[in-house]
Amino acid sequence: MRVSHEWLGEMVDLEGVEPAQVADLLTLSGTEVEKVTPFGVGLDQVVVGEVVGLRRVEGSDHLFLAHVAIPGLEPREVICGADNLFVGALVPWARPGTHLPIGVEIGRKRLRGIWSEGMLCAPDELGLGSDHDGVLILSPEDAEVGMPLARLYPADHLYELEVLSNRADCLSHWGVARELSALLSRPLRDPEASRPAPSSAAPAVQVTVASSADCPVYLAEVLTGFSNAPAPAFVRRRLTAIGQRSLGGIVDLANYVMFEVGQPLHTFDLDRLPAPGDELAVGVRRGRTGESLTCLDGVTRELDPETLVVTVGDAPQAVAGLIGGEASAVGGDTSQVLLEAANFNWARLRSTSRRLRLRTEASGRFERQLSPHLARRGADRFVHLAVRHLGARLGPGAEGGAPLAPAEAIRCDPVRISSILGMELGPEAVASPLRRLQFEVWPGDGEMLATPSPYRTDVTTEVDLAEEVGRIIGYREVPGTLPAIRQPPPLEALAEPVARLTSAACRAAGFSEAMSLSLVSGERERLAPRLVGDLAHLELANPLSMQLGSLRQGLLQGLLQSAHHNQARGQDSVRLFEQGAAFWARGQERPEEPWMLAVLDLADGSAEDGATRLRRIMALIASLSSVGGGGAVEFRPVAWPALHRARAAEVWAGAERRGIVGEVAQPVTDAFDVRGRVEVAELRLDGWLKPGGRQGHAPPLPRTPALVLDLSVTVPSRALLGPALQAVAALGLPELERVTPIDEYLGDQLGTGVKGWTLRLRLRHPERTLTAAEGDRARQAVLRALELEVGAKPR
Amino acid sequence: MTPVDLQELTAMALEEIARADSLDRLDEVRLRYLGRRDGLVTLAGQRLRELGPEQRAVFGQEFNRASGQLRSALETRQRELAAGEAERREDAEWVDMSHPFREADQGHAHPVTGLIREIEDIFAFLGYQSVGGPELEDDQHNFQLLNMPPEHPARDAHDTFYLSPPAGGWLYRTHTSPVQMRAMLGSPPPLRIIVPGKVARRDNPDPTHTPVFHQVEGLCIDHGVTLGDLKGTLEYAIRALFGRDRRVRLRASFFPYTEPSLEADVACAVCQGAGCRTCLQKGWIEILGSGMVHPQVLRNGGVDPGTYSGFAFGMGPDRIAVLRYGLTDLRDLYENDLRLLECF
Ligand SMILES: [Zn+2]
Repeated sequence: MRVSHEWLGEMVDLEGVEPAQVADLLTLSGTEVEKVTPFGVGLDQVVVGEVVGLRRVEGSDHLFLAHVAIPGLEPREVICGADNLFVGALVPWARPGTHLPIGVEIGRKRLRGIWSEGMLCAPDELGLGSDHDGVLILSPEDAEVGMPLARLYPADHLYELEVLSNRADCLSHWGVARELSALLSRPLRDPEASRPAPSSAAPAVQVTVASSADCPVYLAEVLTGFSNAPAPAFVRRRLTAIGQRSLGGIVDLANYVMFEVGQPLHTFDLDRLPAPGDELAVGVRRGRTGESLTCLDGVTRELDPETLVVTVGDAPQAVAGLIGGEASAVGGDTSQVLLEAANFNWARLRSTSRRLRLRTEASGRFERQLSPHLARRGADRFVHLAVRHLGARLGPGAEGGAPLAPAEAIRCDPVRISSILGMELGPEAVASPLRRLQFEVWPGDGEMLATPSPYRTDVTTEVDLAEEVGRIIGYREVPGTLPAIRQPPPLEALAEPVARLTSAACRAAGFSEAMSLSLVSGERERLAPRLVGDLAHLELANPLSMQLGSLRQGLLQGLLQSAHHNQARGQDSVRLFEQGAAFWARGQERPEEPWMLAVLDLADGSAEDGATRLRRIMALIASLSSVGGGGAVEFRPVAWPALHRARAAEVWAGAERRGIVGEVAQPVTDAFDVRGRVEVAELRLDGWLKPGGRQGHAPPLPRTPALVLDLSVTVPSRALLGPALQAVAALGLPELERVTPIDEYLGDQLGTGVKGWTLRLRLRHPERTLTAAEGDRARQAVLRALELEVGAKPR
Repeated sequence: MTPVDLQELTAMALEEIARADSLDRLDEVRLRYLGRRDGLVTLAGQRLRELGPEQRAVFGQEFNRASGQLRSALETRQRELAAGEAERREDAEWVDMSHPFREADQGHAHPVTGLIREIEDIFAFLGYQSVGGPELEDDQHNFQLLNMPPEHPARDAHDTFYLSPPAGGWLYRTHTSPVQMRAMLGSPPPLRIIVPGKVARRDNPDPTHTPVFHQVEGLCIDHGVTLGDLKGTLEYAIRALFGRDRRVRLRASFFPYTEPSLEADVACAVCQGAGCRTCLQKGWIEILGSGMVHPQVLRNGGVDPGTYSGFAFGMGPDRIAVLRYGLTDLRDLYENDLRLLECF
């Protein structure tokens, strides 16, 4: 919302207070000032001139030559591009030598052979808003030829405010002035609102409100005797300043009152309502199915029982609080009006506004729980201004709704307020800011009572009072302290989290951390390898796009996309990992959120082949399980969707499958537009790795020498090393400390269909040196086991 | 054999020693002259026995001197040759030691995770435990327990992603605050937790928005916790994150689940408070929302507001990363461009 410094100054004395200071005070107390713009500053050199002659510039289709006069000076020629000039128009004239507030100096300029004596200005050229539709035409009621424009537009500053959603009271100059009055400790001057005695000449009104829950208050006033006069100059100037267009005297006045005191008003043309002259039966009720209303914006809207409508003679005339009807709209010839100052239920307006996809200045205020007490203020202020400036006469009014409950007093203990804020405040220190906010405070014995201003709907409890006290005193004044630690965090908090262990292991293996959105295209993710297998995606009911329409079930889709992104930018080697939650549907049940890890290794044209890089990932998985306290892992070859048919395995630890690892099948890399071989793994970490990781345990360290033997065998070319080593382990040879595969030989010399393995056996007896014969026996035993398991033959 | 012969023999040997150009050659020379059985000098020494006592004394002296000279020459030459041979071997094993390396072949942490770690560590010093919570929530935990009943205007700022049936009862949490409720309902005070995690809001991606982003929530509940404690805690944390001299200000705000509510701003690093494009001419950048936990929220969490009080705060590590590392587009954090990741 935009407010004017000059307008505020009418309600609170801002003498000696710079706009920057106002902005700072408001911002720190909760009403953030986003921007301060000067308005009408530096207009003392611009004068009001009269256009006394006008013609087109020869040879130009858009330039005009105006003769502009001021008293005591021969008319001068000024060239102008705007087409809204006419003879007799009063216009702002910047003569040569004038400095305009927008930072331009006006000179004498030669155009098409004519010397132009300065410039006739549009509002934006004068720093009076952004309007550039034409030259600013001044009204003869306000302007006098020859006077400086500064007299019409006194220097002002405009504040762009971001009002908090619970502060409907601040959506007006009066409300903001109330804040400033409290912040500056200067008295608040309420806008004048005297009511003349009603004349009986006007038609009588009667108001019927169907439900006071829907409409707590409805004030109807009848005003007659309007002439077709514009609103007074100060009203139009202030409306212009805050960016409102002038729409005629009555409408301008209603708008003015809304921006001044915050109460939305609606004016109906009395002569365009049904049954003028008779008693006006005004009603507020729910719409009926089948009813419709053509609104001010020309749109016909269907009404329904969820919509609140204002009726006259039971015919809908307005969507309550939102928009009026076209038929009863005030126009240039309106001479008498029915004025509505009401309050409508915020929740109802909110849903109606959403249903009709329509938001107005009025509905925005009601939605934020505007105080119903404001209605009387708004009505009286309008009456005051209409009678005083537009010559209107007041008729008998009427009221509907329930009697308004006065604001309730809140118990307020200075000791509790102090302990919430963390600063020592005595009764007076608590009472003073509240009083300055127009709250009533009754001091008591220790505890006090405070009644909020009736215009504040957001203050209902003692903590609310604490906030008022704190923000008016200023949080700058609160001393910063630290709460004492009475109890340390639980011991589990000391264990290194799995996410950190995992990240360290992945980074040590050369993988960098990626981060993807949890939203994916389900269709696309189904192309990628996934640990979850075949499960329907969780879909968003209201996605932004199909690309982000489903919740991810795994992390590889994201990494493949990142691989493409990097490759497309010339990165030939991409090693990424990501950790995070995936989302697995369980019908109506809370979806499962497994904590996943995915790694991806892509090297296009690198010396390392895919198998080597695949093994690095497998080594990473083994060490991750080990440092994470997940025990030994086992890789079980498997055929897996989207993975290479001969390069894929499940990862098992204990009795559980924890993940998959393999090379991405080529159709899949093609689909993700990635070149080269892509090696990946996806693992579920929760339930497997433990915070704190591996709990080490020292083994016995015998001092006896080890006997190290190498065993070379030939095996069928697709023999699996995993089961082979398990068979050796199953022998349970007590001296066999470790078996390490040290070579795999795939050359032709061994014959076709076979390959060679060399295993290094490390044997040790805890008490004595092993003999060569014992070593040989062990080797034979291992060989037999290998023979049985994979058909190995000595080489 | 006369002493003269011996001198000639010695001279020849010395010359050969000097000429020997490898350890093998040198060994041949040693064997030829000093070989235990048939070295020429050794044989000359054996002839001592054939001489008379007087000559033997003279010749003996001569012999000892000559063989001593040869041994020392051999030793010297051997050292020289050994050194030369090591040099040659090393020369053959040349490595280009000018090879430029940027950094070890190690992976990098994501800047946002890095920041989350940092925040966790700062608060660990203050006694906070880092905990997690589900990313999919129900309306109850995400809104209602936090004082946001259906139709509450504050929900406007939380444009929410809802799931489709049959999972229609779930939504993607719009903030990490529901974990506050889970923590309160899970264990009695005192509570000091920090909750990093992903949240989602229905914002179209643009340079300052991504539909999924991170938050770090903090909650402290104990006897007599005050707004001053909140202020002291935030000032410590913000200075730890942004630098000791960075100016911080607290301004009044509104959140349905805190009362009083505050937002924290830091002075814009680009313009030092003068106003620029980064800070939208404000001179300050908003980094954190906070407040004293609303008594009703405490009650909703099973905590008696008569006995306990507390504060809560929430910040956006993505935005902090943007500010701290000079990123211009929030979306870059989710593109995983290695040129960016490698800088952290
Ligand atoms: Zn700045």
